[in-house]
Amino acid sequence: MGIAAFVVMLNGEHNVHRGAYAGLFLATGWGFVGIGLWVWKQRSAGNIGPLMVAVGFSGLLKGLVFSNDSVVFAIASVGEVLIYAVLIHLLLSFPSGRLETRLDRLLVTIAYVNTTVVQLGVFLFTDSKAGCARCPGNPLLIEHSEAAKVLEAAQLDTSIALLGAVVAVLYRRWHSGTPGRARVFAPIVAVGGLTFLLLMAALIVEQAGLSSDISDAQTLALFTSIACLPFAFLVGLLRSRFSEADAISELLAQLGEGGGRGALRDALADALGDPTLELAYWVPGQDAYLDADGQPVRVDPAPAGKVSTIIEHEGERIAAIVKSGPDLAEERELVQTAGAAAGLTLRNERLDAELRAKVVELQASRSRIVQAGYEQRRRLERDLHDGAQQRLMALGIDLRMVRERIEHDPQGAAELLDESLHELNEATAELRELARGIHPAVLTNRGLHAALKGLASRSPVPVELLQTPADRLPPSVESAVYFVVAEALTNAARYSRAQTVTVGVVRDNGHIDIEVRDDGVGGADADQGSGLRGLADRVAALDGRLELTSPQGLGTILRATIPCA
Amino acid sequence: MLIVDDHPSFRASARRMLEANGYDVVGELDNGDGVVAAVEKLNPEVVLLDVRLPDIDGFEVTRRLLDAHGATPQIVLVSSHDFTDLDEAVGASGARGFVAKSELSAEAISLLIR
Repeated sequence: MGIAAFVVMLNGEHNVHRGAYAGLFLATGWGFVGIGLWVWKQRSAGNIGPLMVAVGFSGLLKGLVFSNDSVVFAIASVGEVLIYAVLIHLLLSFPSGRLETRLDRLLVTIAYVNTTVVQLGVFLFTDSKAGCARCPGNPLLIEHSEAAKVLEAAQLDTSIALLGAVVAVLYRRWHSGTPGRARVFAPIVAVGGLTFLLLMAALIVEQAGLSSDISDAQTLALFTSIACLPFAFLVGLLRSRFSEADAISELLAQLGEGGGRGALRDALADALGDPTLELAYWVPGQDAYLDADGQPVRVDPAPAGKVSTIIEHEGERIAAIVKSGPDLAEERELVQTAGAAAGLTLRNERLDAELRAKVVELQASRSRIVQAGYEQRRRLERDLHDGAQQRLMALGIDLRMVRERIEHDPQGAAELLDESLHELNEATAELRELARGIHPAVLTNRGLHAALKGLASRSPVPVELLQTPADRLPPSVESAVYFVVAEALTNAARYSRAQTVTVGVVRDNGHIDIEVRDDGVGGADADQGSGLRGLADRVAALDGRLELTSPQGLGTILRATIPCA
Repeated sequence: MLIVDDHPSFRASARRMLEANGYDVVGELDNGDGVVAAVEKLNPEVVLLDVRLPDIDGFEVTRRLLDAHGATPQIVLVSSHDFTDLDEAVGASGARGFVAKSELSAEAISLLIR
């Protein structure tokens, strides 16, 4: 096809610079198609390769405009400027192969409309013989000189504005990137920018209706510049490969040197050229991303202006890299590559981060447990003081009176004794309740099932006890299960307005799973009140987990899992 | 006599014991804040005052009473705490004295008041 176009151009009677144009168009066509095919084969993602091939073919199509045959001439004339739209598409897609911003997509859409629909309109109203006596006639010509003028002027104005915008976007992309990125962009911005500036100049000259000598020289320069473009792309793409390889090899060298906490983050920040980069380790036990100090990091969604990339190692999620800058496919690829290179180190550092997070959590829960113990003792003292102690004091006063009365007023003494017995019963009941709050004796003596049945029978809300383990469990586990159920039943009675509560305790695969479910109003919040927090600490002290699910209006489920070999 | 204590069972037993021994109990109160007003209204000669009240403690009530009424009425502090825990505070309070609730009797009170 290249050779055919070359021959057509050489023989074009209206081709002023036959040899030069034919050579340049052949170089452009072959250059873009050849390099485009190579890129297409190399890069699995992105449209850079296909777009380069498209530029090559539309360049050859443009060359056919020098044909002496009126049909070929007509087709080529309609498609003559398509190459510029595809070029804009290609340049704005570089290097990811995708139009990443809305502005890019808008510019490319305008370019395509301007070079296809508008161009067809312009061609229909243009007499090709006018100003080019040797050109073949326009077989589709519609004579309407006013429409031709208007359309042509509109196309020119749009093209000039569009090219200005594209050059500005390219310049900004080159200027605002990291040094590595700027190196990749430099050849494309230089040659592509020059091409568009030359095209703009040619259009302005055309708009002003200046001499054809100037425009001939410009056209020659423009075609030369286009012919150089595929090589600029080649250099840019090779540089992008080298800069990725450089970054990764530098990273690997730094990893080899080791270093303390945060060294890996620093190495990644260096390699990826972003000093604000955050490295977040995935800690499955907490369902959260934490930094090297065990502090939480926001990953999904990433903070404004940042992009998160999840790093996996052997199929296991281990970390996320939160990096500033635009979300470009090429950047993501590089971050992934860097993450993969650091995989093993990342996994080790993640274990460290997980451990540190555990220490932080342990310190917090230890201090909460001490505080909870202190508050529990205070509450116990107050309950004793206000309850049984006062009743026993009153009982003392009454019994002393009985002793004084018993001889001269036996009837009054007997009444006082009845009162005293009542007080004594009340005091005994209060003491029993308090003792059960400290540790339920039935749990020790008769096991979990009996203790939970006792709790169920004292609950104001009807309780259905579904299942309890048949065997005895370690005392600490039995006690934790008992208090989880007791707290859940207390909360259900106080806040849930439930009709029934079901309680299930199952021993399964080295775990005890507890579930207390009510059909009440839901909306419970684990952060409100110290009861659940204290329970969570109690369960966590046994390496277990507590989980509250309480959607508004849909009841409350309290689940706990405690390891129990 | 005015009894100030937040535990109803204690107030009931104390009233029974005091009345059986010839005291006239003119009122009962379950908080510290209302004592000054109650004393103005009921004009008791003796206030039997619990140290540990739900709002303000018995020592603060004593201070307010002395500020408002000088030496009358006479104040006897009671508590379920041991005297050894409260020794100094009782001495500095301006009350006539202290009786542990477990020792409370008409005789113990009569030893403290004039």
